[in-house]
Amino acid sequence: MTWALIIGGIVVVLLLAVVYLFNRVVRLRNEVDTGWSNIDVQLKRRNDLIPNLVEVVKGYAAHERGVFEEVTAARASMAQAATPAQAGAADAQLGQALGRLFAVAEAYPDLKASQNFLQLQSDLTDTEDKIAAARRYYNASVLAYNNAIQTFPTLLFAGLFGFGAREFFAADEGERAPVAVSFPTQA
Amino acid sequence: MTLQQQIRSNRLRTAFVVLAFAVLIVVFAAASAVFVGRPGAIGLLAFGLAYGLFAWWNAGRMIGGLTHAAPLQKSDDPELYRLIENVSIAAGLPATPPIYLVDDQAPNAFAAGSRPSTIYVGVTSGLRRLMPARELEAVLAHEISHIRNKDVRLMTLAAVLVGVIAMISDFAFRMAFFGGRGSRDRNPVQLIAAVVALILAPVAAMMLQMALSRRREFLADASAAAILNDPEAMALALRRLQLDTSEIAYADRATAHLFIESPTRAVKGPGAFLSGLFQTHPPLEDRIAALEEAGGFRLEPLPGAA
Repeated sequence: MTWALIIGGIVVVLLLAVVYLFNRVVRLRNEVDTGWSNIDVQLKRRNDLIPNLVEVVKGYAAHERGVFEEVTAARASMAQAATPAQAGAADAQLGQALGRLFAVAEAYPDLKASQNFLQLQSDLTDTEDKIAAARRYYNASVLAYNNAIQTFPTLLFAGLFGFGAREFFAADEGERAPVAVSFPTQA
Repeated sequence: MTLQQQIRSNRLRTAFVVLAFAVLIVVFAAASAVFVGRPGAIGLLAFGLAYGLFAWWNAGRMIGGLTHAAPLQKSDDPELYRLIENVSIAAGLPATPPIYLVDDQAPNAFAAGSRPSTIYVGVTSGLRRLMPARELEAVLAHEISHIRNKDVRLMTLAAVLVGVIAMISDFAFRMAFFGGRGSRDRNPVQLIAAVVALILAPVAAMMLQMALSRRREFLADASAAAILNDPEAMALALRRLQLDTSEIAYADRATAHLFIESPTRAVKGPGAFLSGLFQTHPPLEDRIAALEEAGGFRLEPLPGAA
């Protein structure tokens, strides 16, 4: 009788511990999902800005066809990216293409003076900053979540409940730097 | 102490402040029954609890009034709004809180509001003018950290609930010692007022002390550094606050603990009676030193500092 009570007690305690850990992992996973949707919002916003930007630049520099194609291709691969890692790679590619587009724009003083262009450029810089901010939060929450499911004791049942590791959203900061160069957004 | 622990501790402290306020109002009403009779005491009780609810609901606006903060539209200062949007995203807040501007030359900032929908970040025009974008972002990140850590709800509540108790105590204290034409002809009312002041003042101080955690500023500094991935920016911003000696005009003891830097060197006015009892903020040097240690860098020593 006593043994039954002790074993019963241990089972109850273990169950409570599993429930607690399970809830904690779910909370962390939800944070990862929130973080990803934050990035997604900004990526979509940038995707909407790009056609306008290309149109404006075309108005002044229609013959720079190569750079437009590059931007359009990068934008398309961004739209097709299915996983955070793919999106990160496409993001880096798009950043490079946009950097080249702005480098081309440097050669056209009329374009650089255009109000429309300046507004688009400032919006784009803002979006890039927000993507970077959202990425910091997303990667931090991925780290917390992955650490939780890959360490003891959560490790024991993470696989059982289908908690898999998540990917980081990686993009090389250095490659993307040219986008913001030489155009201060502030007056 | 981790973020989760801080949030839990803040929940506990919030419950304590609310409970202490309720108990204090009940005791106060019961004690006053001797003078105003049972209906009067019930009226007082109802008023006190109604005030508590009203304060909970309107705390953000009340503090806006106390500090003379006015809402700032996004179109008025898009750059500042961009900074706070980026910081909110990086901190993982569900929404960007609006900015209120305090027209004051002293650089300072605070966050206030008791519910998520009423929380805002207050910034003085002095801070906006003085700080470069990198440091401004660090200050905003500090305030956003307070919001995320649930410091703001507790601090706001402490400001409005403890504020009213401190007000009664200040009022009674003045009546007791400065009310009469001379100190010789003290009447019974003044004596009672003195007793009320002497009892209420330490209680108010204790409640505030309970609500305030000296760790909260260190933790908000550290969270801000982590959000921006830039501890040096936070340290530079604090150094700039340290170098500035101007004082904000509309800050008293009820709101002092809300600000990023202690808004007054020595609190003047009605709150002076209590101000010596405790410090609302750890010294800026300590906060800078903590950031230097965490980030592995050193700011240049202050000019003139030995």
